[in-house]
Amino acid sequence: MSAAFIRIVGLKKHFQMGGTTVRALDGLDLEIVQNSFTVVMGPSGSGKSTLLYLLGGLDRPSAGQIDVAGQRLDQMDENQLAIFRRKSVGFIFQSFNLIQSMNALENVTFPMQFAGVAPKERNSRATELLKRVGLADRMHHKPNELSGGQQQRVAIARALVNNPIMILADEPTGNLDSGSGISVMQMLAELHKNGRTVLVVTHDPRMKHFATHKIHLLDGKVVSEDEYERASLDALKFTEQAANLGEAHE
Amino acid sequence: MKFLDLLKLIAGNLSRRKGRVALTAIGVVIGTAAVVILVSLAIGLQENANQQLYGIGDLTQISVSPTYPEGGGEKGGQPSQPKLLTNQAIEEIRAIPGVVAIIPHEYMNAGMMAYYDKLEGGFGATGVGTSELAELGLSATQGSTTLQKGEIIIGSMIPSNFYNPRLRPGQDPPPPPDLYDKKIKIVFIKWDPSGAEIKKTITFRVAGVLKETRSGPDWSVYMRLEDVKAINEWATGQRINYNKNGYSMVIVKVDDVNHVLDATDKITELGFQAFSPQSFVEGINNFYLILQVIFGGVGAIALLVAAIGIANTMAMAILERTREIGLMKAIGATNRDVLAIFLGEAAGIGFVGGLGGVIIGWLAGQGLNVVAIVYLAGQTATQGGMPPSVAVSTPLWLPIFALVFATIIGLISGLYPALRAATMIPVLALKYE
Repeated sequence: MSAAFIRIVGLKKHFQMGGTTVRALDGLDLEIVQNSFTVVMGPSGSGKSTLLYLLGGLDRPSAGQIDVAGQRLDQMDENQLAIFRRKSVGFIFQSFNLIQSMNALENVTFPMQFAGVAPKERNSRATELLKRVGLADRMHHKPNELSGGQQQRVAIARALVNNPIMILADEPTGNLDSGSGISVMQMLAELHKNGRTVLVVTHDPRMKHFATHKIHLLDGKVVSEDEYERASLDALKFTEQAANLGEAHE
Repeated sequence: MKFLDLLKLIAGNLSRRKGRVALTAIGVVIGTAAVVILVSLAIGLQENANQQLYGIGDLTQISVSPTYPEGGGEKGGQPSQPKLLTNQAIEEIRAIPGVVAIIPHEYMNAGMMAYYDKLEGGFGATGVGTSELAELGLSATQGSTTLQKGEIIIGSMIPSNFYNPRLRPGQDPPPPPDLYDKKIKIVFIKWDPSGAEIKKTITFRVAGVLKETRSGPDWSVYMRLEDVKAINEWATGQRINYNKNGYSMVIVKVDDVNHVLDATDKITELGFQAFSPQSFVEGINNFYLILQVIFGGVGAIALLVAAIGIANTMAMAILERTREIGLMKAIGATNRDVLAIFLGEAAGIGFVGGLGGVIIGWLAGQGLNVVAIVYLAGQTATQGGMPPSVAVSTPLWLPIFALVFATIIGLISGLYPALRAATMIPVLALKYE
């Protein structure tokens, strides 16, 4: 077994929301090995997106340690985090987050501008990646001229341009029809095969079939699959009871 | 982020919101145009005023006169001494830093009448303590400025002082004679105690005619100091001792216009009356400088209003583009990158508006020039006098300054919105609805 690529110890993230403190993550410990395909599952509010953003350096923890490939994210300043995101992380979002005024090629080259890559190199890399995701003929189309699946493929190409070691995806199939969803999953699996560490937050049960590891989150903590299933069943039963109760009243 | 990429990105971002950028920039256009045209107007006025001052004389000269005690000089008990321009005093003045030459002047005390051909004319004469009038900043249209024994040099208007005394009414006056290299008889007149006239006639050759200066020298006849001294001694019957009585006036030449005011002050401290055209010019220039500042200030108020518009537009843009800011950070933009992008956009609006304002201001100034010169030329034609050559004058530095100023205004207006954008927490920006 390889050494931990991601090591999280006692991670806490608390928000203030309307006077009450929301404990999105509450003392989470976690290790993820290199070149794994990890699916993070959990009901909404379980803290799975928060975990993803903390791992990607888009947010700072309230307490605890985050160690990614030997770098302590919790000790970095804003600038170091920006460099970390630029070099080491590729993000994929549920809503794609493409810039509407830029065409597919420009969207893909955009991150390389911040990295200071020369224009020629930028174009050849972006073209190559767009070809790989099957959009060779759509490079000069704006996002609103592309289907959801195509937009997500542009976003995947964009996530890859700086050749990151880690791909973080937040509900990447959430806005897609099932066919496009499968093809996005296949692409993520391929990235994993090519040696990257992939972490996907999802509700989509099909994603399990591509994953090498599964993490279940409940109330800001990691739980075992059994516990998770039990909680899910309880929730289901509770919903049924509530429904029955409602019917009885009618 | 590379500078060229930054510029392209800013240009792209501005061009995708053309309408809003244009509306915001209009305020800057108006402000910049106002600054350009108003300051140009003030500069044009100043140039006109300076043109009228043309001929005020060599600006590196200071004329110094002796000081005589005022009427009640002995009231305080001590008789105040007159401060005379003796040779010793001249050495004191020569010691002042920046002074390069001192040229004594002596006014003619005797009455004078000049005769040439059938014409006669009256004028005053000045004796100068130099044989080279070029030292006084004068130049000749005919002959030379070098004065030798038995010679005089005349101002440009002197020939028109000659008239024909035997001219009958209705006859046309003769044209002013060409006096260069001609011999002129000058009759000097004094009166004995009984009131009888005593005359003395001397013939001089006109060695040169001076170029028009539109000031005193045009009406002057220059002689050698020794000649005037001899005639004055004859007229008063007393010997003149410059070590005791001093000169009537001296012209002090200073090496640089910038040293004139200092030297004038020092001479005044020594107790003499000192006057330099430069102090006059300086006063006028100060007035126009104040006018420029006031006019510029009026334009600047318009720019200030425009600045608020830019700040507002940028604040709105940042709200609308919050998710985009979050995304930029997610793909590796540093806070500085984001700051630079939004500051650049604000400065870009200022620059675009400034460019428009400079062009409109300049064109309006040219238009005003055409109208004003036609109108004023018509006025001066009926009233006499010199027509102004410009009404509005735009020096090259003004549009450049206005453009830079408008850009900086934009930059400053964008400071607060851009700082807010740069310091957004990426995850919150990404989730912003």
